[in-house]
Amino acid sequence: MDAAAAGERPTTKLRWVGTAAVAVIVAWAAYGLDMKWGRLLEAPGDLYTVGRLMFTNMELSAFGRLMGEMWESIAIAWLGTLIAAVFAVPLAFLAAENLTARPIVGTVRQVFNVLRAIPEIILAIAFVPIFGLTAKAGVLAIGIGSIGTLGKLCAEVLEGIPKGPVEAADAVGANGVERLRWGVLPQSLPEIASFVLYRFEINIRASAVLGVIGAGGIGQVLSESLRFKEWGTAGLALLIVVVVTMLIDAVSGRVRRRLVLGSRADTGVPTSAVEEAALGHVAEPI
Amino acid sequence: MIRFSAASVTYPGGVHALRHLELEIGPGEFVVVVGLSGAGKSTLIRTINGLVPLTSGSLEVNGRAVPELSRSGLRELRSDIGMIFQGFNLVERTSVLNNVLMGRLHQVPTWRTLLGMYPKPDVAKAMDALDRVEIRDKAYVRASNLSGGQRQRVGIARALAQEPSVILADEPVASLDPPTSHVVMRDLQRINRELGMTTIINLHFLDLATAYADRIIGLRAGELVFDGPGSAADAGVFQDIYGRSLTADDTMAKQAAL
Amino acid sequence: MTVVEATTAEHDERDWPVKPAPSAFAIVAGVLALAMTVVTIVSLDFSPRQVWEALSRPNAPMRGLANPDFGQLLSERSRGPFIETFRMAVLGTGAGGLVALPLALWSTRFGAPNRAVYAMLRVFNNIIRAFPDLLWALLFVAAVGVGVLPGLLALFFFTIAVITKLTADTLDGIDMGPLEAADAAGAGHTQKLRTAVLPQILPSFTSFLLYGFELNLRASAVLGLVGAGGIGSRLEFFRGQGRWEEVWGIVVMFFLVVFVVERISVVLRRRLV
Repeated sequence: MDAAAAGERPTTKLRWVGTAAVAVIVAWAAYGLDMKWGRLLEAPGDLYTVGRLMFTNMELSAFGRLMGEMWESIAIAWLGTLIAAVFAVPLAFLAAENLTARPIVGTVRQVFNVLRAIPEIILAIAFVPIFGLTAKAGVLAIGIGSIGTLGKLCAEVLEGIPKGPVEAADAVGANGVERLRWGVLPQSLPEIASFVLYRFEINIRASAVLGVIGAGGIGQVLSESLRFKEWGTAGLALLIVVVVTMLIDAVSGRVRRRLVLGSRADTGVPTSAVEEAALGHVAEPI
Repeated sequence: MIRFSAASVTYPGGVHALRHLELEIGPGEFVVVVGLSGAGKSTLIRTINGLVPLTSGSLEVNGRAVPELSRSGLRELRSDIGMIFQGFNLVERTSVLNNVLMGRLHQVPTWRTLLGMYPKPDVAKAMDALDRVEIRDKAYVRASNLSGGQRQRVGIARALAQEPSVILADEPVASLDPPTSHVVMRDLQRINRELGMTTIINLHFLDLATAYADRIIGLRAGELVFDGPGSAADAGVFQDIYGRSLTADDTMAKQAAL
Repeated sequence: MTVVEATTAEHDERDWPVKPAPSAFAIVAGVLALAMTVVTIVSLDFSPRQVWEALSRPNAPMRGLANPDFGQLLSERSRGPFIETFRMAVLGTGAGGLVALPLALWSTRFGAPNRAVYAMLRVFNNIIRAFPDLLWALLFVAAVGVGVLPGLLALFFFTIAVITKLTADTLDGIDMGPLEAADAAGAGHTQKLRTAVLPQILPSFTSFLLYGFELNLRASAVLGLVGAGGIGSRLEFFRGQGRWEEVWGIVVMFFLVVFVVERISVVLRRRLV
């Protein structure tokens, strides 16, 4: 009984220390921030005003043009995700501990970590001078930026496959390529495809925003119309972004469900950690 | 023809799985290996097709010295040896036929297998293998939709499709219920008698062993402690092999009654 | 020994089961994906060759990348914004997390005071999750002007979107037992949540907070690009002047720090869950 009580105390103390530390950090943050806190009180009012301006008088005539820009953002996201997949999926094989030697796995994983850390928009501002103010800059920014996360997620899928069928492939005398094709791939391809689609969903958001720095897409219209206070256009653009993103999320979500669960899609539940990750909104959007 | 000579296997952790094994198995024999878990049954089976390497000693299979084989030599050897697993080891997400066709992987050019374009004669062999275990009508069913017994029959068909000279079975019925276990054992026996493939099976249910085996090999702590016809193996022999008195868990019939 | 006697093709095939057609889903999905790829390549006029040429031509960003100015972390002008970025991330996560917890509770069947609130919150969460962080920043800059405030507001809402979803999903999977027991003991609604639900969810929630902080740290670096405070304004400043050594210097330094924070966060999160 004493041991149990003794076990309790360290964790509660740790929790109090932790909470106190957090409180100190938050206080430091708030105190040092160079901001007129009074403006915070005015903020809701400002937000309401702008919201009203944007949505009560939408510039419907711009609908066609805005949809065109949104399409460009979608195209950028799709192509960028595809490019990322072309690099990330093969690399994922090199980053899976059950398929490749330790030192190589370590290096590739580090490359993934570095790429994951860089936000797409920073890549985009570097690419604009190189490729000009065109969609290419956006495509590459998203493409290269996604390699890291996609690679890591796919590597985790590969590491999670049951070993049985792979052993069976060995036992029938398959060579390396055949082993991958029939032992590894059938068990991992649906989940990998699901992660690629998931990344696409996230990249739609990223590409919608890249336009802010001129890399094409609806972000440019949004940012300009906000800057020049063309509230009607901005409101419509925002509405389009949100609705289209939600639509794509929904469709992509169903496709992903079908991919991972197969014919169980309507009623089934994930049966492994990997399936669950591929279906859920993984706690790792970036 | 399989010949072990002073064969030993020691795993990296220090476990002596096989000790100085001297064993000879002739073509066409139907052999059952019994012993406690950890006695070395799995290791023995897996050395034959090279999935587990020998630490010392020699092993000759069909005239080839297994420890000296190159990677492609091993693949060649394995294509001639069919293996059946306790967990079936099927690719769940694809069809039964594709699973069985895996048995043809070594014979068919790689580019064809990558695309799934197997030549007609190979597909025919796969279908015939399925027919032999009476499950050909399920050829295009997804493997995950089958029962345990059906899956194991697909596993057997996969091994048959290799047209091997040896069949290894590592606890093939451990995951199955008693009636299905008997079906599978009868299938294996029938295949051995009709096609003459050397068959080596690991079992941990002793009544199954005596019911089906021509020859029983008993392993204890990596050593060969019994080698004789099935009829010579009685309760006393088994207690010797196990090193303890028998319990209900050791017999399928008694365990089912539990 | 062979399994098969020499076969004549016709004899066997008639006994074989018929191969089913590929599922409609597979065909439609495949065609759609292919069409999408082709159409996007064409409409964006994308050619790998052009990309390669552009990359191999000498250009300022690449040159700057080869020679980043690492002094940026120590530079007077940049240090302020660096720290400002951190403060923004801390406050944004803290405030957002504080609001996200009750919101998440109310968006579950057992936590919501009534069906209407539950439904509304689910829809609301889906909508705000469609907003990327930079979009929030754009909107708030337009509404309240430039500075730190729009950045804070942006991070606040972004955090709510992320953490509410994560928490609500976890809440959907908690053990109902303690809740039933509390019900049976006659506890009131808030009491129930506090005693039966909160202890189960707190470790995961804290983990999500840490994760949100990582996201916000990264986000706050770029919010300044649109005028919402933080190191982004320095990035924009140097970029406008074409001084890529400094740009990369800031980027590398900042993300080294983010990397360290991430490592710590991973360790902490593992000990929580």
